[in-house]
Amino acid sequence: MSLKDVLTPFTAWKRIAKEPVTVIDPFNDRPGADRYRGFHQNDVEKCIGCGTCEAICENEAIDMVPFKDPISGDSGLRPSLDYGRCCWCALCVDVCTTNSLKLSNEYTWITTDPEDFRFTPGVDKKSWDENDKGWVKPEPNYEFYNTQRVEMEHLHPEERVDSFIEMVKGYSHEQALAEADRCVECGICIATCPAHMGIPEYIKAIRNEDLEEGLRILYETNPLPEICGRICTHKCETVCSIGYKGDPLSIRWLKRYIADQVPSERYQSILNTNDINNNGKRIAIIGSGPAGLSAAHYLALMGYQCTIFEQYEKAGGMMRYGIPEYRLPYDQIDKDIDYILSLGVEIKYNTRVGRDITLDQLSQDFDAVFSGTGLHLGRSTGIEGSDNEHVYYSTDLLRQITEGKDIEVAEHIVVIGGGNVAMDITRSLARMQKVKYGKVNIIATSLEKEENMPADREEVVESREEGAVLMPGWAPQRIEIQHGRPTGLHVVKCNSLFDDTGRFNPQCDMEVKNFFEGSMIVQSIGQGMDLSYVDEKWMEGLSFGPRGRVKTNEYFQTDLEWFFMGGDIIEGPDVIHGIANGHKAAIGIDRYLQNLKD
Amino acid sequence: MKQLVEIIQNHFPINDIDLRKKSLAFISIHQNQAIPLLEWLKTTHGYTAFVLLTAVDWIEENRFQLTYLISNPENFTELGVRVFIDREKAEMVSAHHLWKSIWVYQRELKEMFGINFPDSPRVNESFILEGWDTIPPYRRDFDTKQYSEETYFPRPGRSTNDPAKHMKSKLYPKD
Repeated sequence: MSLKDVLTPFTAWKRIAKEPVTVIDPFNDRPGADRYRGFHQNDVEKCIGCGTCEAICENEAIDMVPFKDPISGDSGLRPSLDYGRCCWCALCVDVCTTNSLKLSNEYTWITTDPEDFRFTPGVDKKSWDENDKGWVKPEPNYEFYNTQRVEMEHLHPEERVDSFIEMVKGYSHEQALAEADRCVECGICIATCPAHMGIPEYIKAIRNEDLEEGLRILYETNPLPEICGRICTHKCETVCSIGYKGDPLSIRWLKRYIADQVPSERYQSILNTNDINNNGKRIAIIGSGPAGLSAAHYLALMGYQCTIFEQYEKAGGMMRYGIPEYRLPYDQIDKDIDYILSLGVEIKYNTRVGRDITLDQLSQDFDAVFSGTGLHLGRSTGIEGSDNEHVYYSTDLLRQITEGKDIEVAEHIVVIGGGNVAMDITRSLARMQKVKYGKVNIIATSLEKEENMPADREEVVESREEGAVLMPGWAPQRIEIQHGRPTGLHVVKCNSLFDDTGRFNPQCDMEVKNFFEGSMIVQSIGQGMDLSYVDEKWMEGLSFGPRGRVKTNEYFQTDLEWFFMGGDIIEGPDVIHGIANGHKAAIGIDRYLQNLKD
Repeated sequence: MKQLVEIIQNHFPINDIDLRKKSLAFISIHQNQAIPLLEWLKTTHGYTAFVLLTAVDWIEENRFQLTYLISNPENFTELGVRVFIDREKAEMVSAHHLWKSIWVYQRELKEMFGINFPDSPRVNESFILEGWDTIPPYRRDFDTKQYSEETYFPRPGRSTNDPAKHMKSKLYPKD
């Protein structure tokens, strides 16, 4: 034995002052390791009941059980564990979309009743609920799906600001597959979509590279996929479960991908609508906007002969006459509409009900009438100077641009409004200024502060990219008129829009003033409905609800049994509500005509 | 490690060299050359300590990966030797003559992946899976969920809800 062998054990004395790493009393105190995968914890307020934990569990140890009433974005279900099957692999924690699910490091639990081992973490109180050790998904870069969406390619601002060509390029095959691969198929989005589209199913069809099946799923609830794939308000994406830790799925662009990839000549064959039996009943539809077209589509599939009365030269309503071509190209509108026409739907163009034919006449000539006339009347600010001939409504200008009419494009323009329509007219006029003057000089001002502007975020950003100046948080007071035309808009600072009761009641600081120079002013503060086509005798038969909207039942049937109404005049305003309303009204009309009313 | 890898390259045909850090590297070598390499490293380069033997099922490539992790206690370096074997003929020469402890790992891999190590002591005895009668559970084509459904009885009183269907039944039942 060497001297080294004798001395070496004494080196252990150097640790005498250090905290022991061994357990002092292993019989009474046996904590799991800090990252031990022990019993489950769930923050039930953070959890949205998406069920991905149940889906991934290889042992079928998880059930989704009711916890509270569902709301948009939360199924109201919560995971319940069966510890007779759980192996504590923690896949449920690792896949959890909201990071609500964790494993504590507690691992001892003794009970005489095996049923105790079934419990709902976070709901059934347990001793380890407050335990802050255990398995938590490592952050970052430990996700089972890509948290970043596949970016959609746009035309660069300098490429698009002087033309109306479509600015969103659409996904390629590879991009669509990569984006579709991010979906966890929870289906939370379906309830939020007004049309309750089968979103996980059509995204699955993309993954399976079966776009024909994808198209069939789209048309079950939405007969305008090219249109909706471009300009839907995509509320579904606001509740997407994978959006809690990254970007929500690009549901709208994936819908567009399916529709873009399937040529229109294949639609009838894929959708099996070559041979529809006519049932001999006739339906009149007023307006060829999303609600009217949707109603016509589903009624045609049921065998009804539909005739749409459209006041303008072309079909599409506000989709064509209110949304600029750079967002929604006319040929894509035509693709959706042409397919609906191929089902035998007839459109009588340049025929305004109330002028060229009366509602009364329609009630006599047809078995039922559906009206989806939309909100196409501009609303005035009513401020001094707003009656000047160089003060316009955005709805009128957008329609005239679509019609190809020459409109006034001043060198300095002010737009009043902070919604999507205001952004549409701002960006359209910016393009026209660029062509006419070689530069953009347009100000869009709104009552709302930037964070509360009703316009989509992307619209705000893209407007700025194209050279528009946005001035949110100002209240219009007066339009300065000199020598018969505007010179600008006087505004004061707007501090708040609503009072404590939630009532619209703008509060302004009259001392903080501003002046936006412009020889042309555009008002874009909302749209109104025009029910002048409803004859007086029928108007008396209708009842009205809040904001002057006609009251309908769940099938959009008015108090006049034969008269159904839907779309922006009843709900919304947006395209997808119109589509959903038209679909439901078609079912309602069929029930009415078959005397199947509840 | 770079120097060691260069020396190995002069004696053995290795590839996929991954110099992970100063004290850790991984190399790949053909199945037939693996045991001679391990023996050479043990006897001539101080890699006398066996750390672990593990496997990966690369089902898409129809092969298994074996990784022998060995250590040099003198200079505190570790070397991972990777070997790929045919999935259809999952068999590897045993290394129990180099390190006695390796037979435990080989027995485990036989049970969990179905990779055979002929002549390895007790290699055909059950390791932890008593009475296992289907394909080895660590093979990627083993369907855990199906096995779970077929093997374990459903507990009375359990029921579940699909989130989308549950929301429809509560929020828009008539649509």
